Amino acid sequence: MTLDRRAFMAGSAAAATLGFGSAAAADDKVIRFGMPMDFTKIYTFVTAEYSQGQRDYITLVNERGGVNGYKIVTDITDHANDIPRAIEAYERFKREGAVLIDPLSTPVARALVPRVLEDRINMITAFSGRSDAADGSAFPYVMPLSPNYWTQAGVIIDFFRQQDKDLKGKKVVLVHIDTPFGREPLPIFQALAQKLGYEFQAFPYTPPGNDQAAIWPQVRRARPDWIVFWGAGVGQTTALSEAVRNGLPMDRMSSSVWLSESDMEVAGKDATKGVLKFQAAAGGRDPKVIQDILKEVAAKGKGAGPEGKIGTSYYNMGVMMGAIMVEGVRVAFAKAPNGPVSGPWLNEGLTSITDFSAEGLMPAMTSTKEDHQGGGKGRIVRWDGSQFVPQTDWFTANQDLVWAEIHKYSEEFKKSGK
Amino acid sequence: MFYRRSGIRHTRYAEERQLWPLRFDRWLVGLAVALLVAAPLLVDRLYLVAYLLPWIIWSSAALGLNLLMGGAGQIHLGYGAVMAIGAYTCVHLVRAGVPFELAMLAGGLMSALVGIVFGAAALRVKSLYLAMATLAMQYIVDFVISHVPAISGGTQATISVPPVRFLGVPIEGDIATYFFALAVCAVITSFMLNVARTSFGRALAAVREKDYAAEIIGIDTFRYKLLAFWASSFIGGVVGSVLVVCYLRSVSPDQFHLDLSVQIVAMVIVGGLGSVLGSFFGAALVLFAPIIFNNLIGTVTAGLGIEIGSDLRSHLPLMLYGALIVGFLVVEPLGLAKIWDNARNYFLVWPFRHAGR
Repeated sequence: MTLDRRAFMAGSAAAATLGFGSAAAADDKVIRFGMPMDFTKIYTFVTAEYSQGQRDYITLVNERGGVNGYKIVTDITDHANDIPRAIEAYERFKREGAVLIDPLSTPVARALVPRVLEDRINMITAFSGRSDAADGSAFPYVMPLSPNYWTQAGVIIDFFRQQDKDLKGKKVVLVHIDTPFGREPLPIFQALAQKLGYEFQAFPYTPPGNDQAAIWPQVRRARPDWIVFWGAGVGQTTALSEAVRNGLPMDRMSSSVWLSESDMEVAGKDATKGVLKFQAAAGGRDPKVIQDILKEVAAKGKGAGPEGKIGTSYYNMGVMMGAIMVEGVRVAFAKAPNGPVSGPWLNEGLTSITDFSAEGLMPAMTSTKEDHQGGGKGRIVRWDGSQFVPQTDWFTANQDLVWAEIHKYSEEFKKSGK
Repeated sequence: MFYRRSGIRHTRYAEERQLWPLRFDRWLVGLAVALLVAAPLLVDRLYLVAYLLPWIIWSSAALGLNLLMGGAGQIHLGYGAVMAIGAYTCVHLVRAGVPFELAMLAGGLMSALVGIVFGAAALRVKSLYLAMATLAMQYIVDFVISHVPAISGGTQATISVPPVRFLGVPIEGDIATYFFALAVCAVITSFMLNVARTSFGRALAAVREKDYAAEIIGIDTFRYKLLAFWASSFIGGVVGSVLVVCYLRSVSPDQFHLDLSVQIVAMVIVGGLGSVLGSFFGAALVLFAPIIFNNLIGTVTAGLGIEIGSDLRSHLPLMLYGALIVGFLVVEPLGLAKIWDNARNYFLVWPFRHAGR
């Protein structure tokens, strides 16, 4: 080896000085979105596709001339689900003038909540973060703008009720990862069990969930009428494989939003035929906006990733969130055409979105200063061996229970930290 | 030259035993302290809150672990859990109305108590087995915190830290938090610098080198190992409460998982076992190398107009980081502190290559 000590030390020092001084050029006709996400650690199963969808949509908007003459600039970086790294990225984006931040990570979102509330920068916590952030009066700058986990649980149970007409005396089990994320929907399932009269049983498995062999025979023995499995990434494919192995009825199993085409491929496309999941944005390439991206972005070689990923569940969720952000910018311009572009200015837009459906990609959503969830509409889709087929229209259910839960925790948040 | 040893003659024991007998070393330490104190005026806010503050806090944690690993030779893979105990105790006490000064100390004491419970069990085992026992502590503490709603704060598992005052000064904003963390770090650093010169520190060193040899020369190894766990866990608990109050501002279980423990062990090893300065170097490397490489690659690709996929874009910094750690350990297995020491030795005898013995 010829690399000597001095060269190694000098190289490291040079890299350090270069890496410190990265400043972005200021431009007055841009709106900056900071997107520090976890590309390398825990959320890898979703980040790449989600981010690709988001960026492709924003490229589409910019190619068409931006919003009101303003271009939207996305700053992407990896925070590896590590809080010091995420805070560094957040502070850097803040200095560069970002008015919106999308960390796509529950721990990072939790850690950033005090900062965004203080700095008045909009934080998108789509399908992540605190569910009680739906209460805009407690979290003015935290924007889930998507159906939270309590809503997803409420909708899934309502679908079961629609199928069986009556859930009285039925048995619903929840197989979930034993983390705060996995335990989050429990109160809704329990409250609904009281209301609808089904019997409820929960089966926690230890994180990260790559071994669930001990749980599923117990699930089979419980003879459930309906099964909900609640996890993400490897936990989901393992749950499906174990369910198949134990001969559980696939058409009576439902997941939250975290189930994708690639999960189905891992667990076996045909073996898992019939599995249900909650869907927040239409999948596939049929929606008009996905077609537009294919024509105006991907075909011109401006796509942010492999073209084959366009139209997957998570890609479309990225497009959905990109569209909502841009719609927020549009509404903000409609309210205050001269800006100035700032966190509070964008917040006015993001909290006044009315009946926006991204040209049919998603259910019409309406956000207000109080409701940051945006109505909580979704639908149940079924895997037919090659794609997820809608079983219902866009609908929402049990929002009274969901909001009771939201208020319970947001009230607590208001009291704490004082 | 400037690192001059000639002309320094000690006429009293106290002079000979001082921490920095060379005048140039004292100047360097003074300069470093002055720079740290003046940092809020000198550097941009970004570097204060996103670099210096975490660096100081993580260095304090690495110092605490270094007392146990470098000082007493006991490995600990559950230091994140130790910090979690301190953080949760402190936050809950502050929320119950206990003054922060007391809550922080109580956090330290609670960590120390739980720490020696596991420490005592761990005393029966050594090296790799001790690593496993402390790893068990990490998992048990994680489990208890996230499964007891009264500790974790219910479904959302996040508790915001109420505004606190230390001796009447509100610990909020960028400046007060920085100086508070710096003050705690200064106390821990001076403790660590001095502990090696006390009978306690010497006893720990004896235990580290060979515990039954230490027993033979009259050191109660059981007592000193327990004391090492106690002192190190106390520091961990205090740093845990500083971490949540000054930096995170909210506390949730996933902030203190195994990742944090491994990160701090890495800081101690890369920095140099038993070295105070090394803990600071190690913390800086482990915390900032991934960030700096990430920014570097961002700047380079943007500057040269190269389009690379987001997968490679985000993994490349990690590969470089890994290579850097390996590189440093190959160049100097005794850690970054030893590299500093080599440079210092070079200047001590400059313009000659070696000192005559």
